[in-house]
Amino acid sequence: MTHPHATTPSHVAHGQSYRAVRLTVRRYLLMPIGALIALIWANTAPESYFRFAHGLSFFVNEIAMAFVFALLGQEVFEATMPGGALHSWRKWTLPLVAAAGGIAGSAATYLGYIQSQYQPGLASGWPIATAVDVVLAFYLLRAFMPGSGALPFALLLAIVTNIFGMVVVAPQYLVLETRMGGVALAIGALFAAWFLRIRKVHTFWPYLLICGTAMWVAFYWEGWHPAFALVPLVPFLPHEARTLDVFADPRDDDAVHHEEHEWHLAVQPIVFLFALVNAGVILRAYDTPTWGVLLASLVGRPLGVLMAVGLGVAAGLHLPRRIGWRELIVIAFATASGFSIALFFAAGMIATGPVLAAAKIGVIASACGALVALAAAAALKVGRFAS
Amino acid sequence: MRRLPSVVVLLVVVAASLLAAQQAAPLPTRPESLKFAVIGDTGTGAPPQFDVGSRMAEARRTFPFEMVIMLGDNIYGSQTPQDFVMKFQRPYAPLLTAGVVFYATLGNHDAPANRFYPGFNMGGHRYYTYTRKDVQFFVLDSNAMDPQQLAWLDNALKQSITPWKICYFHHPLYSNGGRHGSEVELRVVLEPLFVKYGVSVVYSGHDHIYERIKPQKGIPYFVNGSSGALRAGDTRPSAMTAAYFDRDQVFSLAEIDGDDLFFQAISRTGRTVDSGVIHRQTAPQTR
Repeated sequence: MTHPHATTPSHVAHGQSYRAVRLTVRRYLLMPIGALIALIWANTAPESYFRFAHGLSFFVNEIAMAFVFALLGQEVFEATMPGGALHSWRKWTLPLVAAAGGIAGSAATYLGYIQSQYQPGLASGWPIATAVDVVLAFYLLRAFMPGSGALPFALLLAIVTNIFGMVVVAPQYLVLETRMGGVALAIGALFAAWFLRIRKVHTFWPYLLICGTAMWVAFYWEGWHPAFALVPLVPFLPHEARTLDVFADPRDDDAVHHEEHEWHLAVQPIVFLFALVNAGVILRAYDTPTWGVLLASLVGRPLGVLMAVGLGVAAGLHLPRRIGWRELIVIAFATASGFSIALFFAAGMIATGPVLAAAKIGVIASACGALVALAAAAALKVGRFAS
Repeated sequence: MRRLPSVVVLLVVVAASLLAAQQAAPLPTRPESLKFAVIGDTGTGAPPQFDVGSRMAEARRTFPFEMVIMLGDNIYGSQTPQDFVMKFQRPYAPLLTAGVVFYATLGNHDAPANRFYPGFNMGGHRYYTYTRKDVQFFVLDSNAMDPQQLAWLDNALKQSITPWKICYFHHPLYSNGGRHGSEVELRVVLEPLFVKYGVSVVYSGHDHIYERIKPQKGIPYFVNGSSGALRAGDTRPSAMTAAYFDRDQVFSLAEIDGDDLFFQAISRTGRTVDSGVIHRQTAPQTR
């Protein structure tokens, strides 16, 4: 008779599978997995892929992604609260300068390339090239430069950049028609959220169902991208200050963390679906926007970041502790890829067609900025590679 | 003189007849028909474009077409006023002088502002429609198929009462060009509308070849993107290819009379590389 605690091969395999699934979920790996499946599907059975993607795109991009942006907003807000890892205003100044440099560098590179190809009609796509995949950057730097000042610096750079991008992209949402009354409804939703807050309602659901629905409709009516609709409600939600593990699933140790924990799990299938619906492109659709986005991400942005920081330091600002120029170069490449955020911007502001497809290829290819960051860290002996 | 064997004479006569038949215009050139030419990806300003323009003027002496449809990439490279002279006005000067009207669509190399250029007759619109005799043309901007354009097309096709509905735009829904190929994502969005409202024929460019696609869901497609630019040998023919030619620049002529569309594709050197007739389906496939 077998001992009940014996470790059989099937138990070991089961345990390994469970750990793999947990790692996949906790590290947001479902997004690159979804993207890979989408690419394979689009390039082997394109007609079935695009029928599937178009059928699901509104639900995923306009409705479900609202929860993802709300969660990201929640985590960033909590990290910047008193006691949070990103609270001190002193930490913001140089990343703000770096973000401005990155935006200017990527936009200028993209626009310059487009102009050199005599295709000025593509100019409006420049915000795509400015986006930063904050989750990718976070996990990259946590892997090679743990415990250094790189993480908060990169997070702040990414947050500022993406807020700028959202403000630019939101009103460019492709909608058939707009309606009156959205602003009034939005104000009503904010008032209702404020009321719930002062009544100390500590559960998320009334905020999401009542205020969130009203705000979503308001955004849609006004022609603003509805995926950002829940973000204005974030300051009213119940919060606790976050440590540096910004995108980690919080410990399920109180009511607020319990709901955030459930929210974390709920967005995982959403990010998988987002990648599945948006990352599928036929690879030979590469064209001018592909190179524009790629150059802007891998050359323009890092150069812009480094030049801006150089100017900031020359003007008297200080680099964070334990961050020198070698570390900054790695940070510049780790924040080069826009991937998920850039895909989202592209899908929201460029209509279906070859221009969108070409831009998406550039966005997906820009994820190789991660490899460049890794190579830079190794070559410059930074973080884990320091001798 | 020795007499040539009669078999040899017979063979020579047959060969000459076949050659003459190939060179003869397969277009009936009926008095009341709509006659037009089709060109795509023209705007190089290079000698082959001028050659095609001359060949078109020559063809017009026996086939007096009144209009030309342009399938996009009408101007490559810089888009200054001088470029419009070199890459459009001069190559087609004889046609323009004769009053032939050009109706263009925008390609990926065309500046959006080109829709305001008077010579393209776009009226400042990215997408538009016009009618000649029994034919309504729907001109689309395939660079970006936004919700407004789709809604416009749905409504325009629904309102159309002409027997012939011809759509043209730059990016092909079906193509065996090696560089670009079929725009499947656009196809998923547009083809249902074309089938629903009984579109008769679709013309596109973008791939720098000539290809005639067998009817797909009852609709024949043409890729005519080699009237200036050319990618020799780029075609990867497949089961859906009815005919193709990618060794030289090509322009097409078309004549619509009653329920028949006669077409002829002619190379830069004047050789007919494809010809035939399309019989219009009398009712839409589905509603």
